[in-house]
Formats: sequence, C-alpha cells, structure tokens
Amino acid sequence: MADNEALIDELSGLALFADLPRPELAAVAHTLEEEWHADGQRILREGLSGTGFYIVLEGEVAVRIAGEERARLRRGAFFGEGAILLGEPPGADVVATGRVRVVNLAGPAFHEFLMRHPRVMYRMLQEQTRRLRSANRWSR
Amino acid sequence: MAMTTDEKADALGRVALFDGLGSASLLPLGEAATETTFADGDALVIQGQVGTGLFVVVSGVVRIVQHGEDLARLGPGDYLGELAVIDREPRSASAFAVGPTRCLALASWDLFRRVDADSSLSHALLRGLALRIRALTEQHHH
Amino acid sequence: MEPLAERPFPPGAYPLVVVGSGPGALQVSYSLRHLGVEHAVISADDRPGGMFLRFPFFQRLLSWTKPYAPVPRGTRAYERYDWNSLIGEEPAHRAIQPELMDGSSEFPARPEMEASLAAFVHRSGLPIRYGCAWQATRAEGDGFVLETTDGEYRCHQVVFAVGVAEAFTPDFAGREHVAHYVDTRPAESYAGKRLFIIGKQNSGFELASGLLSWASRIVLASPRPAKLSVQTNSLAGIRARYVQPVEDRFMGGGVFILDAAIDGVEHVGDAFLVRTRASEGGAALDIEADEVIAATGFTAPLRDLPALGVATFGQSRLPAQTPYWESASLPGVYFAGTITMGAPGLKKNGVGGTGAVQGTRYNARILARELAERHFGLELTREPVAPGAVVDRLLEEASDAPELWNQKGYLARAILVGPDGPYDGGIVPLQAFVDGDGADGAAMTLEGDADGSIRPVAYVRRRGAISEVTLDPEPLHEFRASTDSRRRLSEALRGILP
Repeated sequence: MADNEALIDELSGLALFADLPRPELAAVAHTLEEEWHADGQRILREGLSGTGFYIVLEGEVAVRIAGEERARLRRGAFFGEGAILLGEPPGADVVATGRVRVVNLAGPAFHEFLMRHPRVMYRMLQEQTRRLRSANRWSR
Repeated sequence: MAMTTDEKADALGRVALFDGLGSASLLPLGEAATETTFADGDALVIQGQVGTGLFVVVSGVVRIVQHGEDLARLGPGDYLGELAVIDREPRSASAFAVGPTRCLALASWDLFRRVDADSSLSHALLRGLALRIRALTEQHHH
Repeated sequence: MEPLAERPFPPGAYPLVVVGSGPGALQVSYSLRHLGVEHAVISADDRPGGMFLRFPFFQRLLSWTKPYAPVPRGTRAYERYDWNSLIGEEPAHRAIQPELMDGSSEFPARPEMEASLAAFVHRSGLPIRYGCAWQATRAEGDGFVLETTDGEYRCHQVVFAVGVAEAFTPDFAGREHVAHYVDTRPAESYAGKRLFIIGKQNSGFELASGLLSWASRIVLASPRPAKLSVQTNSLAGIRARYVQPVEDRFMGGGVFILDAAIDGVEHVGDAFLVRTRASEGGAALDIEADEVIAATGFTAPLRDLPALGVATFGQSRLPAQTPYWESASLPGVYFAGTITMGAPGLKKNGVGGTGAVQGTRYNARILARELAERHFGLELTREPVAPGAVVDRLLEEASDAPELWNQKGYLARAILVGPDGPYDGGIVPLQAFVDGDGADGAAMTLEGDADGSIRPVAYVRRRGAISEVTLDPEPLHEFRASTDSRRRLSEALRGILP
C-alpha cells in the first residue's frame, strides 16, 4: 500500500533509520505521529510527566534548561527519550525556533518500539554515546 | 583465586550501565569477561589509543589522567570505557592502577555480539547512557 | 429554495463568518450569538447535521445519551451522560437528544442525531444560509474574502467547521476498482458477497459489523494491528460497539483480520483479486473478493487554505492549530468541530483531545468566548471565588464538570489569582494554561491512565512555573469527598492564595 509514502521517504533519509529495509520503515512511519509547531511553541516541557519521544523532520528546536539555551537540534535529531527511559520528567524544555515539523511517539509505546526495531535502538545507542562524549570531559 | 562466571556476572551487574539486567543477559557477559590484574602504575588504557573495551574495577584503585591532569579515582564497582565499547573512539583519558588492582575486562566485540542478540541489554545500555547524560546536564547547571 | 434575498446572510461584509452546519458550526454560532457577536453562517448543505446527514451507515452512534442518569436532565452535570446534545444556554435548547430517542438503545441512531441537531437549530432560531458553498479564499486587507456559489463574503475572522469527512484512499495499483467507505450502499446489496475491507479503524469495523449478517465472507486488512478501546482504556482504538467481527474471527465465523499491506487490486472476471503482503515476514497472499471497500480514512476539505498559508500535517491533512484553535500559521483563521483534532493539546502519554461531539462542543463554546474577548472587545465578568472555597471548587469540578470528563487532559477549570483575590478563569485549554504566562493559579483536569484509573490532576502556576499535583483515584469518582486530595491541593496552593 502506498500509504504515507512521503513520510516514509522522509524517514528513510534520517540516520536513525539508515539500517531499516523499506517494509520496516513503513511500519515505523505508521507508528509515528506527525506534528507541526509554530515558532516559540514548547514541544517538551521541563518537569511535566507523561512526555513523549520526538524526531525533528524539518526546522530547528532549542533545548533550554531554566531558560538558558543549551543546544539546537535539527533534522534527524531526537529528544525526549531520556525522560521515558528514566521514568522521570524531562530536565529541559525543547522549544520550536521557527516552524518545526516533528514525528512523535507516546512514552508508553517507546519501549515496545525499541524492542520491535533493534536496529533503531542501536543507532540511538551510538548517538547517545556521541552526546555523552561531547558532554563529558573524560571517558569512563 | 579466579572469579567464577557467576561472580563476574555479579560484578558486572552492579555496574550502573547494566542496571536492571537479569542473569539471562549478565551470565553471557560474565562468561565473555576476563579477569586482569594490574600492578601499581600499570596502564589500563592510554589516552589517544583506540578503545577496545570496558573495565570494571573489582578491587583496588584506578587513577584517571587526562593531559597529565588527575581527573578522578575509581574504586570497586566503578567502570570505564563503556563509551569506547560502543563507538570505539580513541580513549579520551588514560587510566593507571594505584597499588595492585584487579579488573574485569569486557572486549567491545564480545559486548557487541551480545547487544546484537539481546534487545534488553541494548535497552539497558541506552538507559544507562540517558542516566549519565542527565546527571552531567544537572551538574553543569549547578 | 427561497430566493437569495430571503435567506439569511446575503453576500457582503461581516465581522466574522462561520463555514459549516454540523455540530461544530452550530455550537460555535450559538455561543457567539449568546455573547452578542455579529457573524454570518454559511453552509454548502441544504440542512443542518454535517457528517450526521450521512454517517454512520449501519450502526448507531459511538456516543451515548443516557435517558436515566444520576443527575437531572438539562443540568450542567447531566452533559457528562449525554454526549450528543449541543450545549444550550436555555432549558429548551439543552439535552435535546434524549427527547428524540425511542428507548431501544442508549446510542442514538443516525436519524435521531440528525433530528436532534435540527431541533437545536429550530428551537434556538439559529440563522444559517444553506446552499451556499465555500469555494475559494483569499487574504485582503486585514481580513479574508470567501468566494462562494452565492458570491463573496468579506470578514476579519473566519471559523471553518468543515469536518474531516472527505474520502481518502491511498495510492495503489487497481485503486480505481475500490469503492470508498463514503459510497457504501444499503446493507442488503452486499448479501452473499465476499467482502474485502481495506482499513482496520472504526470505519472499517463499522462496515464489518454492519455487514456481518449479509456478506458471505469478510476480510479486513491494513498494515498495523487493530487496538481495541477496551484494551487501551481510552477512546483510542476500535470502540466496543464494533468489536463483534473480532469475536467472529476468533470463532471462525467467516471473518478474517490481517495485518498486511495492499500491493494491488486486479479485476478478474466478475470478481477482484486483492494482492496482500503480510506486515510480519512479508509473505504474499492473494485473496478473492466480490467487493472491495477502502475504509482508509478521511481528510479535512480545506480547499485552497493550504495555499493561502494554513499549515497542515499528518495523513488527514489536519490544519495545525494553536491551543485556542487558531491556525498556527495563519492568524485570523479558526476551526471548530472535528477538525479541532489538529490541536491535540499536551498529549500526555499520547492521549490527545477528542474530535467527537461530546468534546468539540466545549471547544466551540470556549472558542466563541475567546473570539468575543480577543476581537470583539467583550470583557467577560470573572466571578470571584473566596480563598477558602478554591480547593472545594477545584475538587467539585473534578467530580462533576462535563468538560473535564469529556476532554480529559485537554480542558481544565482554571482558578486564577488577581489583584482582588481568586476568580474563576473558566474552562480553558490545558495547554494554553501550562504554556501561558498569566496570573498565578491552578487548572484542574482529569486524566486517565493505561489501566483505566481516572485521576484529578491540578497544574499549579506560580510566577510562570508549573507544577503537577496528581491526586488519587476514587472508586466512585467522588473526588470532592477526599480529605487527602483536599490537603494535598491546599498545600500545593500555599503562597498563591491570599
């Protein structure tokens, strides 16, 4: 079925999904929900429970802690996984800077999603490692 | 006196990175891990060298040194190199034994094989990393 | 049809225009009239009802109206037990649906719902210009021009309540052989046929359960597995009304439910061959059918609005909206009715606002108030609340407020603290409260979790920072009677209340 073709094509260009064959990518596309946010809209909220997992498709978001900008994320970057994995509210706000399109997965569905798509989980592991390294002064 | 597989699995299990793993995941890792003894001053890893695995300190003390500067001390249950075990980047610091030190070494290719076969192991590593990133972010904030 | 001059709202300039005549349009117009906001209402249809003029085909509505409820009919608290009536401000305009049901079911039949909406229009004297189809839109000056079959309408703001009922069929080989759900014929015409339904959402299951006694065989197929609402403990998933085919499948009664993609449909003699590919494993399976129906969903009929600048998203091409249902990319364009699903709210644990009547009627009423305040200079009186009564009021709302029950985690009762003390901030979209930087105060909502517990959750805003206070569920939902909740809420509000 040529459902969702445009979204599948978009996802296929992201590093997170680089190892997925097309049928698996189609399944992923069906599981994720697209969202559109205007400039200034908060997507992830510091301290609020029940948040989800997001991947940026288009545009840029700013990661802010106590109002202070820490990072910018662009197409292909994901956020929100920390809060879900740790079972704690996010430690940062993530805010749209300009118009932003993302795909979203609800927190309760995240674990099953990772288990169903181990190659995605592995790519996430690599990216998390990269992030920890750059946040770290030394490697343990 | 050599460690049994159970003891090795136990030691690995106490590591935050492997928090939440059941014995089904830990035993194969314990099997693959090897025990190494270091004498005072011996290097576990050298800064700049390609990383090939992770070390869990079983007994003794390990000094972390970066660009000649002492960064930290690790004791029993602490570990180093789990980032290298995933991405094999060059070691960003050196580690030296302080006094006789026993470590469990887990080679990246052994961990890799297990990660490929065991989704819950992958998930636990992911979680462990998220924990560390969160802790670091809060540290920088304060 | 009466001559142009005798129908209300001839083409021309109006402060605001509402497009549509389904539940969303009716509710927003009614509420705007009640607030004294001058506006025109135009609709392509020849009578009120919107999607309920046609759908659902076979089954009764998914939403109930209980003639016998724990509270008297016509009261605010009764709204929670009547998901189909629009919200009137006078007794004659309230709780109309139960009057029109014959008692054989707590779910209205489609004609009963249509009649209820018509009665609402008739009794309230709501003027609507029927037979006036919106065709195109352009921006002009500080407003918009709507081109219709009757001529041009100029306005500063426009509310589109045009539903999400435009048939959508994805592209695949042989698509031309496939009818869409919207073209479903009377049930008898499917007698003895082998039916293949593409799509496992509510519309697909509605057809399957409606045709169970007619079709000789029914196959339902789509890539993703179907989830049942009784499993998710929410309204997401196949509703209980339509679950019979699932049981038939299990009992081997000629119903087959597949997780598969459609590679194509071929015409073979008098029948069709549907080529499917299993989601798990990719095995190909060709299935014969006499009829193939695509229950593959709907899009919003937005015409040229995207070209005008209304951003859309998702397969339904819903317009992206602010928490107050304004287009997130084109100010001045607002939405009411089902289409407000384009503003899903906080989506806590993945649960968004509902697009069904029982929820969107409140969205529409709030939108009317917001339009009146924002664009028509209306200053609504804010009822003061004694400091000692704030906690009680919040817990009462949690126990009884239909807005909170029908839009969980989406609408909330706000009590704010102004220079003269606490006052009732009305029912607000929760996201607007959480992301807003207004006065200190609290917004009370209800949230359900995956195992079916319903909890009051208070969001307390203190100098712009929000904290969540999740209270405990109660077996009979009598939250106002919980001393523990009272204590915790009081503590959370300390320092905010004078």
